[in-house]
Formats: sequence, structure tokens, C-alpha cells
Amino acid sequence: MAENVEKEILKIISEVSGFDVKEIKPDANFFNDLEVDSIKAIEITVAIEKKFRISVRDEDIPNIMTVNDAVELVNKLLNQGSIPSAKV
Amino acid sequence: MPKSSENAYDAIIIGAGIGGLVCGCFLAKAGMKVLICEQHFKPGGYCTSFKRKGFTFDAAAHSFGSYREGGNMNMILKALDLDKRLKITRYDPSDIIISPDHKITFGIDTEKTIKELQHAFPHEADNIRKFIYYLINAKPIEFVVLRKKTYKEFLDQYFKDTQLKAILSLPALGNGALPPSLIAAFTGIKIFREFILDGGYYPDGGMQALPDMLVKKLKELGGELRLTCLVKKIKVKDNKVTGVVLDKNEFISSRYVVSNCDARQTFVKLMGKKIIAEKDLNKIKNMIPSLSLFVLYLAIDKTFDSLPTPGTNLWYLPHYNIEDMYFLAKKRKVNKFDAHMVHFSPDKKTLLAFINAPFKNIKYWKDNKHKFIDAFIKEIEEHTIPNLSRHIVYKDAATPHTMYRYTLNYRGAAYGWATFPEQLFTPELRQTTAIKNLFLAGHWTTQTQGIPGVAYIGLDTAKLIIKKETNING
Repeated sequence: MAENVEKEILKIISEVSGFDVKEIKPDANFFNDLEVDSIKAIEITVAIEKKFRISVRDEDIPNIMTVNDAVELVNKLLNQGSIPSAKV
Repeated sequence: MPKSSENAYDAIIIGAGIGGLVCGCFLAKAGMKVLICEQHFKPGGYCTSFKRKGFTFDAAAHSFGSYREGGNMNMILKALDLDKRLKITRYDPSDIIISPDHKITFGIDTEKTIKELQHAFPHEADNIRKFIYYLINAKPIEFVVLRKKTYKEFLDQYFKDTQLKAILSLPALGNGALPPSLIAAFTGIKIFREFILDGGYYPDGGMQALPDMLVKKLKELGGELRLTCLVKKIKVKDNKVTGVVLDKNEFISSRYVVSNCDARQTFVKLMGKKIIAEKDLNKIKNMIPSLSLFVLYLAIDKTFDSLPTPGTNLWYLPHYNIEDMYFLAKKRKVNKFDAHMVHFSPDKKTLLAFINAPFKNIKYWKDNKHKFIDAFIKEIEEHTIPNLSRHIVYKDAATPHTMYRYTLNYRGAAYGWATFPEQLFTPELRQTTAIKNLFLAGHWTTQTQGIPGVAYIGLDTAKLIIKKETNING
């Protein structure tokens, strides 16, 4: 399952950023290495939320800097079961 | 970059608006063979100028933003070596908002703008500074928490004063055609940051100079532009684009197609149900476009005292209920005006004024255009430029149908889709589409609007294509 999560997240990041899946390293920084801007950051978040039916909480967002951070967060949220919508 | 021998072009771009032109220039710069097809007889989309009786009028866009060092327009024009070839002046102040109680000036010196706002709203002094600093310094990641929020929710985090919130919302209504309770926080912030805090730039000779220079660059880079060239179909085989069909069934093959035109047209008309799944077509058909504009064009006999500073956007805010203004704009009757924007041209000869307006039907605007022109002049004379009518030597206007006729934007939409949070970042309307090698650009991609916005997306779409080429070619 964890492997699939990583694969799906890489697919989303690749689609939005334009970088080939093979080029995206686990420790790649979204902003410095993958040219992610504010639009792409939102697009990736929205696509991940939709794909895994999760809601990322505001307080978790500033800590997501690398691909690994995103994978870890999604795994954590999935393991916690269904998460009520973030208070926005 | 290797070229495909069996295709006439590497990339065909539909629409020579600023987004299409920027995208075309960067693709051509990367060595691709590019053709841009534009249905109008001049390039620019909403960024064009026209001449009447010896006067030059800008058609819709009348200044642009984001040209500061590091701003997107600056970065793009520099990357194309056009910053030195275009003479761009920043007019100061870029914007003035006049309300019954306040006159707020937005100029080059942001600290001065902050002080002016603080002087008018001393009880919000700290929040004003925090708000403006956030707009200037926010990092990309910080926008993620705003993805579902409205601009109203964002403003409410900072301010209590309803007058101040209305003043800070007027540019979003003017440049986004939505009130704070409906416009996405992301869009409201980008408008305020890029159009107001870094606005007021104008190319020498009129707005047409910008697309004209991009066309020149495109051609120098080996790209081609066909004007009065309507694309009828995007051809797709095995879920991959093969080219476009023009008038008289002329087929032109291309490896990539970038649609910089109305996305509804792209999916519904240019491709349709044989290519696009019905549920996706229905989703697009149910999306709501932004309102259109009624633009007034006036030429004056001479300069006179009550005219605003040339190059400044002068906004009139008659009261503080922006929500009401939006609902009025959706119906737009000739006997009821409220907020408006008026811009005295840098050549000091013409005025452009606009209000948001609905598409309605062609007969309505035919019957009412001249009534609107006269009522609008009266309104401006009463609130922003006394004695105006004594000096008018030419008057005309563009209705929402004029907007449609020259751009084919669905219902004459001024800003692409209405940027409600729920319509923003629609996955089907990202730059990369479900059809292989079909990309989108322009303000119909749902993430952006305005000249800096579409220029940036144009560049970004070009980058996505170039990355794809690099991936294929190793």
C-alpha cells in the first residue's frame, strides 16, 4: 500500500510539474528542484486530496517541502482513517 | 530539438492573445516550428488598440502589472530580450480609489500607500501593515491553505472595518468581476499584489505595442502568425492531437496543439463528444464564466483641470457594499450605475472607462448601447471628472457582444471562468489535458487572469512542452 501511495503521488507531481517520474527524487524539494509555484502547489494538494479522499490540515502544510514529506503525510492521514474536513 | 518530418509544425497555438504569443515565443526559442492562428485581424486578444478619427484607443486592457524586478512580466520580457526594445513607463500613482469618505492613492512607494491607508483607518494600522507585507512576501506554499477560501474570509482574518474591506475589494470586483464573498482568496490576492501594488505599467504607443513586439520576436525566432484565421477543429487520433482544421477544411498537422482560446470552445466546439467523454463535456458546460465588460471610449479636445493624472486608474466607489454592486452588475440597467473605473490615456487624448456587465443578448445591447454611453458619461461627470461632456469630441463603446466578436470568449467573458474557489484549479482545465499533446493556456485554464497571469501561464505551458520533449529525447 505504501508503495502505491508513493507511486500515485509521484504520478500527480509529474503531471503537474512536467518532470518525468524518473527524474523526481524522494528528497526533491518542490520549490527549489521541481519548479513548483503557488499554482502548482495548490494543484498538487487538490489532486492528492481528491485521489486519496483525504483533507490536508492547514497546520501540516508548511512542513511539506519534499516529495518524501508529502508521501509521509498522506500515509499518516490514510492510517488515521477518515479525516474530517479541515477547518478553513 | 529534433523536428518531426511528417508534421507541418511542431506546435500550433490557437489564439494570439498575450498567453498564446508568450507561449509561441518560448517554444520557438527552444527551436520548435510554431504557428499561431488568430481569428481576429490583429494580435493581442483583450490587449489591443484601435484608431478612430486620429485617436488611439486601448480596447480593454489599459495598463499591466508585475513588471517590478523579479515580477513575472519583467522576467518574461527580459528572457525574450524585449525589455530594452519596448519602452515601458510606470505611471504613478497606478490607482486611486475615491469613496464617500476616503481617497486612497496606490503608488510606486508601497510604504507611502501603507501610511495612507493607516491614516484613513488608524484603528487597523497594524493589520494594514501585516496584510500588505503578506501580499508582498508570501511564499508559494503559503497559498495552499487558501485553496478553498474566499477573499472575504481572507480579509476577515485581518480586518474588522467594513469600509476598509470594501476599498481592498474594489480592485477584485473591477479586475475579477466578483465580490469578496465569491472570489477565491488566491485570485483576490494575486489581483491586489500584481495589478495594484505593482500596477500602472504602460508601453509607449499604446497597449498594442506589447503584442506587436511579441509577434516581431516570434517571427525573428522563426515562428509564424496567421491572422483572420479561425480554427474550426482540433484533430485527435488515438487520444493524441494530430493538428487543426481551418476554414475550407484545410488541415495542418502538428505534434502539439496549445489552445489559448476559450476552454469551453476548445472542448465543446473544436473537439466535441466524439473525442471528449460526455461527463467531462457536461462538467465544462456547467461551469460559469466571468462577467463581461461595457467599455466606454472618449476622445477629448484638450486637457482640462478635473482630468485625473494620465496613466492612473481612477476607481469610484459610491458606497461600501461590494456584494450589491456585483448583483447589480449581473443585471446591469441603464438607469442604475454604481462603481466605475476611468483611465486617462498616457498620450492625454483619450479616456477609457468600464463597468462589469452581463452578456444578455445582442438586441439588448444594440438597443441600449447609446443610452449606456450617455448615462455613463453623465455618471463620470457627476462623480469623477466634472465638465467632461464639454470636451468630448468622439465617443463610442464596446458592449459584451463586442468583446465576444473580437475574442470569441464565451459570453464575452472578461476574465475567463468566474474564479469561485470551487471553480479554481479544476483538474480538467489544467494546462496538461487528458488528450496527449494538447495543452491549454490563457485565462481559461482556471488558475489565472490579467496580462501578467496569462503571460506567466503562456511561459509555463511552453516549459511543460519543452520538458516533455526533453523527456522523450532523453
